[in-house]
Amino acid sequence: MARPNLQLQFTHSPVLRYGLGATSFAIALGLALLAQRYGFRNVEVPLLLFAVAVTAWYAGPGPAALAVVLSIAFFDYFFTEPRYTFYVTSSDIPYLIVFISFALLVAWFSAIRRRVEGELRQARDNLLIEVTERTQQASLLNLTHDTIFVRNMSDIITYWNRGAQELYGWAAEDALGKYSQHLLQTVFPAPVDDIRAELLRTGRWEGELKKTRADGTQVVVASRWSLRRDEQERPVAILETNNDITERKRREQEIQNLNHELAKRSTELESINKELEAFAYSISHDLRSPLRHMAGFTELLQKKVSSVVDEKSNHYITMILDSAKRMGTLIDDLLAFSRIGRAETKMTLVSLAQLVREVLTEVCQDTEGRNIAWKIGALPEFYGDRSMLRLVLVNLISNAIKFTRTRPQAEIEIGCADGNSDDLVVFIRDNGVGFDMKYVNKLFGVFQRLHQSDAFEGTGIGLATVQRIIHRHGGKVWAEGVVDSGATFYFSAPKPQGHLWKL
Amino acid sequence: METMNRLGRILMVEDDPRDVELTLTALEEYNLANEVVVTRDGEQALDYLYCRGEYKTRSGDNPAVMLLDLKLPKVDGLEVLKQIKSDGKLRMIPVVVLTSSKEEKDMVASYKLGVNAYVVKPVDFHEFVNAIKELGVFWAVINEPPPGSVRK
Repeated sequence: MARPNLQLQFTHSPVLRYGLGATSFAIALGLALLAQRYGFRNVEVPLLLFAVAVTAWYAGPGPAALAVVLSIAFFDYFFTEPRYTFYVTSSDIPYLIVFISFALLVAWFSAIRRRVEGELRQARDNLLIEVTERTQQASLLNLTHDTIFVRNMSDIITYWNRGAQELYGWAAEDALGKYSQHLLQTVFPAPVDDIRAELLRTGRWEGELKKTRADGTQVVVASRWSLRRDEQERPVAILETNNDITERKRREQEIQNLNHELAKRSTELESINKELEAFAYSISHDLRSPLRHMAGFTELLQKKVSSVVDEKSNHYITMILDSAKRMGTLIDDLLAFSRIGRAETKMTLVSLAQLVREVLTEVCQDTEGRNIAWKIGALPEFYGDRSMLRLVLVNLISNAIKFTRTRPQAEIEIGCADGNSDDLVVFIRDNGVGFDMKYVNKLFGVFQRLHQSDAFEGTGIGLATVQRIIHRHGGKVWAEGVVDSGATFYFSAPKPQGHLWKL
Repeated sequence: METMNRLGRILMVEDDPRDVELTLTALEEYNLANEVVVTRDGEQALDYLYCRGEYKTRSGDNPAVMLLDLKLPKVDGLEVLKQIKSDGKLRMIPVVVLTSSKEEKDMVASYKLGVNAYVVKPVDFHEFVNAIKELGVFWAVINEPPPGSVRK
């Protein structure tokens, strides 16, 4: 790099350039005169032409012209007859013309060569800069994690970055010059011709491709192609950027499988639910009919024979009728219970205070002649299905009324207990017969009863219904009791938030 | 009796002979049983209404009321109801569904098809008898049936 710099400085200083012209001329003249002194003949012309050439070469056209003029003048002065005058005899003119022509020719050639060389140097410098730039860019492409390679229009790989090496396992020297489709055994999502057509039309293409690594394993990549064109707009190369999405695809597949499985199970559940529904429907229709017949004909029988048969027989008839009636109630309760699981819930914000008032009006018809002290505290709003919540309150309040029957002064309290920050807790407390905490886990089971049926009537479905409804609301039910001093039933549900919570 | 003279014909569709017997007994108690026609499945009921098959020769008057069970052999109650309510000539017959089913599904379906009343047979015989009596009295005596019904 030092040389072109020197040259540039040199050529840029006119003093030096013209000095070089003058000096080279002076040296040539000196040598020619010296040669003449020692009897060497005809050396002056080549020496002077050499000086002109050197000047033209190194100092450019201006100094060359100076050298030519000086050479002609001093050639005429020192070496043509008559010597030591600038006078030119006619016989010397052709000789002089030939000399001048040669001098100009040498200067001209020199100048042309110089210019050509300058241009070449310029081109070389430009090339060097470009090479440097390209090398830097290529090393930048090597830095990225993305897989990038370039292939020409014949599908031969011409560039292969480090990401490509990492993903596919082929080193650049293995990949370069190979057919990319063969090397990577690419599987296309569409016919290759269509993809190519799109690429040529729009200059881009992107899609998912399957490729094979050096070790034979398959990868799924999100691939983006860009077409490179030359100045004449002819397509010359394709830059392909690939991202490994194998893991993502695997997870997607997994999710899809899970969804599929879920859909299958949900269909199964749906069909089971349908079966249950059909079962309940059948019970509702078919179980009730024979019961009605039993009751009906027994009653007809009773009417016909009650006056002629003995008291015991009449008692038996009454027992049959009672049983039929009881079974009817059981079937109805069971159906109502099964309906809770099947019914769709209509969620709204329900005022428990209002609901309790409604329920009390309804159940108090059964409390005539009873002495009950009601204590109703402040009640919150519940987010839930109104008719279901009503059923919960009906069951719990009816129970409280029922199990305080033996008390001369019954006390029933309904209120809101302190729950945690997320849940609302409502309780219904009575001073009734209570229960043994030993059996607390039996309270909410279907058909589970803790009292003999002749003491307190019931089917054992009420609390199971309560539990089922509260569970559907995302809450919990529990109870505390002491034998002969009352029971407290609690139910909780998540507090209504700004958002709706699901059942 | 005055009521006897004004009694409309009751068409009963019921496959269970025990139910038929109980219903007739209940109606008898109030002298409402005489003009009861019993058909045992949906097809027979439709045959009666359209005067075809075994009822080819009957006079073409419509019953004053029809007591229809839902669970029937061959053509079920809802299907019978659907046919009646979509037939211009039969549409006016008052139809009372009398069934064991308390299922909301059946009730909704019946009302959608245009049933005139829906009664769940009570298990208790007293209630059953009362229900049948009230039905019989209301539809066959009190209610003024549409023109073209049989009246004695």
